[in-house]
Amino acid sequence: MKSRTPLAAAGLAAVSLFALTGCGASAEPAADGAPSGNVTMVVPMGAGGGSDQSGRAIASGLEEGTGLNISVENREGGSGAVGYSYFLSQNGKSNYLLASETALLALPVTQDVEFTYEDFTPIMKLGDDYTLLVVAPDAPYDTCSDVVDAAKDERVVAAVSGATSLDEIVFTLVESDQDVEFDRVPFESGSEVLTALLGGQIDVASLNPSEVVAQLEAGDLKALCAFSEERYEYEALSDIPTAKEQGIDVAFAQYRGFIAPGGITEDQTQYWIEAGQAYEESDAYTEYIESNYLQANAVYGDEFSEYLAGNTADLEVVFAE
Amino acid sequence: MIDNLILGFSTAFTAENLLWCFIGVLLGTVIGLMPGLGSTTGVAILIPLTLTLEPVTALIMLAGIYYGAQYGGTITSVLISTPGEAASVVTTLDGYQMAKNGKAGSALAISAIGSFVAAIISLALLMALAPPLADLALNFGPVENLAIMILGLIIVVSFAGGALSRGLMMAAAGLLISTVGVATGFSDARFTFGNINLLGGIPFIEVMIGLFAIGEVLHQIRMGADAPIRTRFRDMVISRSELKRSAGPILRGSGIGFVLGILPGAGSTLASFMAYGIEKRVSPRKAMFGKGAIEGVAAPESANNAAANANFVPTLALGIPGGGTTAVLLGAFTIYGLQPGPRLFETQPTLIWGLLVSFFIGNVMLLVLNLPLAPVFAQMLRIPYGYLYPIILLTSFVGAYSVSNNMFSVLLVLIFGIIGWIMKELDLPMAPLVLGLVLGPLFEKALVQTSALGQGSFLILLQSPISVVVLLFAVALMVGPKIAARVAVRRSPRPTRTPISDDEREDAR
Repeated sequence: MKSRTPLAAAGLAAVSLFALTGCGASAEPAADGAPSGNVTMVVPMGAGGGSDQSGRAIASGLEEGTGLNISVENREGGSGAVGYSYFLSQNGKSNYLLASETALLALPVTQDVEFTYEDFTPIMKLGDDYTLLVVAPDAPYDTCSDVVDAAKDERVVAAVSGATSLDEIVFTLVESDQDVEFDRVPFESGSEVLTALLGGQIDVASLNPSEVVAQLEAGDLKALCAFSEERYEYEALSDIPTAKEQGIDVAFAQYRGFIAPGGITEDQTQYWIEAGQAYEESDAYTEYIESNYLQANAVYGDEFSEYLAGNTADLEVVFAE
Repeated sequence: MIDNLILGFSTAFTAENLLWCFIGVLLGTVIGLMPGLGSTTGVAILIPLTLTLEPVTALIMLAGIYYGAQYGGTITSVLISTPGEAASVVTTLDGYQMAKNGKAGSALAISAIGSFVAAIISLALLMALAPPLADLALNFGPVENLAIMILGLIIVVSFAGGALSRGLMMAAAGLLISTVGVATGFSDARFTFGNINLLGGIPFIEVMIGLFAIGEVLHQIRMGADAPIRTRFRDMVISRSELKRSAGPILRGSGIGFVLGILPGAGSTLASFMAYGIEKRVSPRKAMFGKGAIEGVAAPESANNAAANANFVPTLALGIPGGGTTAVLLGAFTIYGLQPGPRLFETQPTLIWGLLVSFFIGNVMLLVLNLPLAPVFAQMLRIPYGYLYPIILLTSFVGAYSVSNNMFSVLLVLIFGIIGWIMKELDLPMAPLVLGLVLGPLFEKALVQTSALGQGSFLILLQSPISVVVLLFAVALMVGPKIAARVAVRRSPRPTRTPISDDEREDAR
C-alpha cells in the first residue's frame, strides 16, 4: 500500500469510484443531489484547534449558502485517525462532511489505518497554509541559505511540532534538497515550538504565519523565508522572500478543505462542489482565509483529488527514510 | 497601573458585562460539575453563541466559564468521589473522606474560600507582573521541565503514606498505561494492537471517571451500602478552627499553583497534586491526610485555581496559551478580529484590563454563589443510594461519551470502573495511578526533548541553573525529613508529640 504510485492510485480511485457509485443509493438522494435532512460536519480533531476552527467556519459558510442545517461534531483521537475511520463508516451518505487537512494523507503513510484519501470524495480545498522559517531576532542568520550553510558545519537545532507534522515534512524536504542535516527536537504543537524558540532553547522553527505573525510584528522573532510557491500578499508578510528565491527548492503546504464520504452519487458530489463555489464567493470565506493568513487557493473535486495524489507521493518520499 | 485599574473597572462594571460575567461563572460551575465535560470543551462549544456580543463582553463570559469550572469541579469530588475536572482528582482523597465524616459542607466551603483567596493572590500578581513573569517562564525549556517532572514523581512517593510499595506500584501502573499510543517525536504506535482508538493513548478523563465514579459505586454496592451519610446542620458550616488550620495550606497552595501555572506545559492538575504532596510533608497533622483532613482539600483546591489564573500570564503577555482552555480562548480572540500576541497589553488596554478586573468580579460572584450553596449541595448526600447510584452511573457514561462522541470511551470507562473496584477491594491507592498517567506523557516528552537537546547525554540537566535548583529541592524533599527526624531525636530525648485538640479528635472519627 505504501509503495503505490500516483498513477496507480488515480486508476484505483477511478475504479473504486465507479464501483461505489453503483451501490450508493442508500442515502435516498434528492433529484438535484441535495442531501435530505440535517448535515453533520465531522471534525476529526478536538474542539478549539485549527481543524475545529476551519470546520466551524466552513459549516457556517455552507449553511448560509445552502440553507441547510449543518451541525459540527468533534470526533477526536489518534491524531485524526478516529474521525476519518468513523467517516469511512458513513460511506454513501451525502449528508456527512468532514473538515480535512494533511492528516488525511500523513496517516495512511505512517500508520496502519484502513483508509486513504481515495476512500472519500474530495470536494473543496479552501486554501494553503505554508510555513515560515523563523529565528530569534538576534540570531546570526539573515536568510534560509545562511541557516543551511550553518547546518553544514555546525549543530543547528530545529524544533518540530510532531513526527508527521508540516514542519517535519518541510525540514526533511530542505535536508534532502540541500544535503544537510538539522538536529530535531520534537514537540507536540506549534505553540510549544514557539515557546521554546522564544526561550532560546532551539535555533530554528518552521511555523504557520498565523502562529507567529504577532511575534514578527512585535520584533520578538524574525522570518527568514517562506516555504511557499509565491510570496504572501498580506502586508505583514509580503517582505518575506520564498525559499525558492534563496535557492532552496522547497514549498509544501498544509491544506484546509472538506470532503464527503465515498460512494455518493455524481449529482451529490456536484451539489457540494457548487455549494463550495458559492462559499468561495462569500465574505465569510475571505474572512476565514485572511484571519488565518492562508493563501486562498480553492480547488474542487477532481482537481482536489489530483492535489491529494501529488502530496501523497511527496509524503511517501519524506517518510520513506 | 492605577489608570489601568480604573480603565478596567469602568469596562467591567457595566450592567451588560456584569450580567455576562455572572452567566459565565454560573455556566462554568455547571460545566465543572459534569464529569467528562471540561472547561475546554465548554468554552469551544459556546464560542459561536458569543459572536454577537462585544469582544470584551464575550471574553469576559468565556473566561468566566473557565475559572467557574475550577469551582464546580470540586463539588462532585467531595460529594460522590467523582472529580468533575482533572485538577480536582486529588481533592477526592480527603474531600470525600470529609463528606463521609459528615463534613461535606466544610469541605465545599473551604474549597470555595481557598479558590477565592488563590484567585485574588494570583490575579494581583498577574496584573502587576504578567510581562516580566512571562519572560521568566520562557527560561523553562524541556530541560527544566524534566527537572520539574522528576520533582513531581518524587512527590508521588509521599502520597503512598504508610504503604510505600503499593503507591509506587500504582504510580508505575499509571506510567505504563500512559505509554499506550504514539509518543512525542515518533510515528510508531505502541501497545495499540491495531486499534485506532488507542492511537492517541488512553485518555485521562475516561480513566478518571471509571476509577473514581464507577469503581466507587461498584464498591459501595458490594459493601451492601450503609445508610446515607447523616449530617447535622452544625457540621455543614465551616468552623473557625477549620478556617485557621487552612490558612497555611491555602497560601502554600496558591504559591505552588501560581508558579506551575505560569510554566508552559505543567498545568493545574500537576499543581494540585504537588500542593497536596507538599502539604502532606509539612503539615503537623500528617496522619490525618487521606482520612478527611481539611488541609488536604484546601491546598490542592487553592493550587488548581491559582494555576488556572496564572495560565493567563503567558496567554496574555506572550500570546502563547498556557493550557488547553486558554488555547481555545486565544482562538476566540482571532474570531473577534483581535490578534493575540506580545503587544496585546499595549494595543488592547481596554480589553485586557476589563477582562482582568472581570476575573476579580467573577471570583467574588463565585464565592458568594458557592459559600451558601455548599450546605445545599451537601444535602445531596441525603439522597438514598438507590437513587444516587443510577444518577452517578448515568452522568458518568454520558460524560464519557460526550468527551469524544465515541462509544469506545464508554467501554474504557466500564473497564476502568471494574479495575477501580478491584483496586478498592485490594486497598490499592488510586491517586498515584492517576498522577502516573498525567505525568507519564509529560515526563516522556521532556525526556525525549532533553535527550535530543543534549545529543543523548543527560548531563545537560546539570548545566541549567534552574534545573539544578529544582533537582536539589527534590533531593532535599527526599532526604530532608529523615535528617530532620534524626536531628530531632538526638536533640530531645522526650517525645515531641503535641497533644491532640478537641477539634482534631472530632475530625478523626
